[in-house]
Amino acid sequence: MNAPTATAPRNGARWLAHALETEGVDTLFGYPGGTIMPFYDALVDSTLKHILVRHEQGAALAANGYARASGKVGVCVATSGPGASNLVTGIADAMLDSVPMICITGQVGTPLLGTDAFQELDVFGMTLPIVKHSFLVRKVDDLPNVVAEAFRIAREGRPGPVLIDMPKDVQLADASHLPDHVPAAVEPPPAPDQARLDEALAAIASAEKPVIYGGGGIALADAVGEFRQFVEATRIPTVLTLRGLGALPTGHPLLLGMLGMHGTRAANMAVQECDLLIVVGARFDDRATGKLSEFAPFARVIHLDADAYEINKLRDADIALPGNVATGLKALSAAASPCEDWRRRCSDNRARFGARYDAPGSDIYAPAMLKRLSELAPADTILACDVGQHQMWVAQHCRFEHPRNHLTSGALGTMGFGLPAAMGAQFACPERPVVLVSGDGSFMMNVQELATIARTRLPVKIVLLDNHALGMVRQWQELFFNQRFSEIDLSDNPDFAALAQVFGIPSRRIVARGEIDEALTDLLSQPGPALLHVAIDARTNVWPLVPPNHANSSMLESPPATTRQEASHAIPA
Amino acid sequence: MQYRLDLVLKPAEGALLRVIGMVERRGFVPQAIEGKPDAADGGRWHLQLVVDGQRPPETLRQQMLKVYDCESVQITALQEAAA
Repeated sequence: MNAPTATAPRNGARWLAHALETEGVDTLFGYPGGTIMPFYDALVDSTLKHILVRHEQGAALAANGYARASGKVGVCVATSGPGASNLVTGIADAMLDSVPMICITGQVGTPLLGTDAFQELDVFGMTLPIVKHSFLVRKVDDLPNVVAEAFRIAREGRPGPVLIDMPKDVQLADASHLPDHVPAAVEPPPAPDQARLDEALAAIASAEKPVIYGGGGIALADAVGEFRQFVEATRIPTVLTLRGLGALPTGHPLLLGMLGMHGTRAANMAVQECDLLIVVGARFDDRATGKLSEFAPFARVIHLDADAYEINKLRDADIALPGNVATGLKALSAAASPCEDWRRRCSDNRARFGARYDAPGSDIYAPAMLKRLSELAPADTILACDVGQHQMWVAQHCRFEHPRNHLTSGALGTMGFGLPAAMGAQFACPERPVVLVSGDGSFMMNVQELATIARTRLPVKIVLLDNHALGMVRQWQELFFNQRFSEIDLSDNPDFAALAQVFGIPSRRIVARGEIDEALTDLLSQPGPALLHVAIDARTNVWPLVPPNHANSSMLESPPATTRQEASHAIPA
Repeated sequence: MQYRLDLVLKPAEGALLRVIGMVERRGFVPQAIEGKPDAADGGRWHLQLVVDGQRPPETLRQQMLKVYDCESVQITALQEAAA
């Protein structure tokens, strides 16, 4: 039983817990240790719900998933030294995908800073390139300003992670004189310039082949509704990035699919041929553009983004619209786009080059299985994935009603992201179904979090695709390294179904496509956590594929078998 | 091209590291650095940084403005960098 300390004077740690409560934090993910113990002591008397993970990387990625699914700030906590360094990948992932997070680390006492003390690590210095901002709190009197600024910065404009490094003596220092915490106001970005908006309206009206290219910045700006209104008003064919998926619901008649390396042929063809590219909350990422100098070669560019830095970074904008994305989209919705022939042609291409699921044989064909999963799962399901082939199959073959329903490590490509991220999403959205699709490589990178899921009886459903290989690396070695396979064999994987059961999580294994419907239905109906181990063929590749450093018009395609063929580079009329 | 960056930084821990690190990560090479905290300006760092780089200086300026400790930045083109 915990001894009551609620009447003790408020120290820095207790003040911090109070501030987190005031900021609206309800859940935090962490792992205690020496220098963060005063904060863990403060948690005993707080209303904050702390989730004890089994590795600090799990804490950072769970907070990351919590923030992605909810749009709120995710919070993770670790001690100094290895605790702090274990957070690093999760912080970097949040930075590259613009996820709002507060990362709290314990630190050795200020008199010991710079003395190589036990578990002293300069996490402030280590994380400088991967945080939006950071603070080393040297005096307890700085806490009110630090915490208010940290939350403001994490949320403001393009969101991101903020680190607060808290020396132990600061946590223990008397904070009874500090005022109660007051959250700082978050200012929305200013509206885009009206004159530039007028130019954009005129450009849209005169374009014969316009395309909208939407990205993750739409959801980050809470502008999904405005984006849909813009698309509906102008009826311009639309392509989305990996992190933009869901900005238009899958199946929307104007959506041509994902663009880029593993995008649809219809999407890439439209972008390569368009005469006007309207970029909304996207950043010309190399996975989306392919060879940049040959990307959208005939297009003028309108670029709307909350982050002015992204404009003209990789592709010059003819009409630059830095500023509030929602406001900009509302203004652009007044545009008329008389492009019926182009619209019809894009739509025809979408139908003509749709995905095929008629793989021969009785083995489980992963794309078809994931499509079926997406059909059977409720529309509001949050679908998390890891990194690799399965990540691309999820993007290609699953439906998304909103970008926040799709948790994917886009920019950093963090293997091991999925399990803790799904966990965080389930804590953020306890009433909604959460499904993780993982691969046998990624899953083992944070497999310890099965213990957290089991302990909390978190009803996350896990679909584990197992091809006994690092599939995406194997695919690239097959295609681009003369089939010289190097260090991709995972044939000594554990029995994943048995492994889940050891953690107390029900599981089963399927190997044939005839088992899919029943197994998925059974999985989704489980009241608690459950794992479905799915054996797939290691030779199955992700198609289509734009080879690295090639234009998006040069897509490799293959029927769902083991052979491949190079598609014509010509754009069909 | 060689550019001079005139920066005003908050007197905050890590401010210098942040701006120098940002310059290097974004593809510019520091050639000279000069500056000190200005007591008459609340202890803010007034810093001049000469850098070489082939990327557009405006993108560097925009990136520097995203560093929270950087209150202002002006970039002046100096000369073609030595081969």
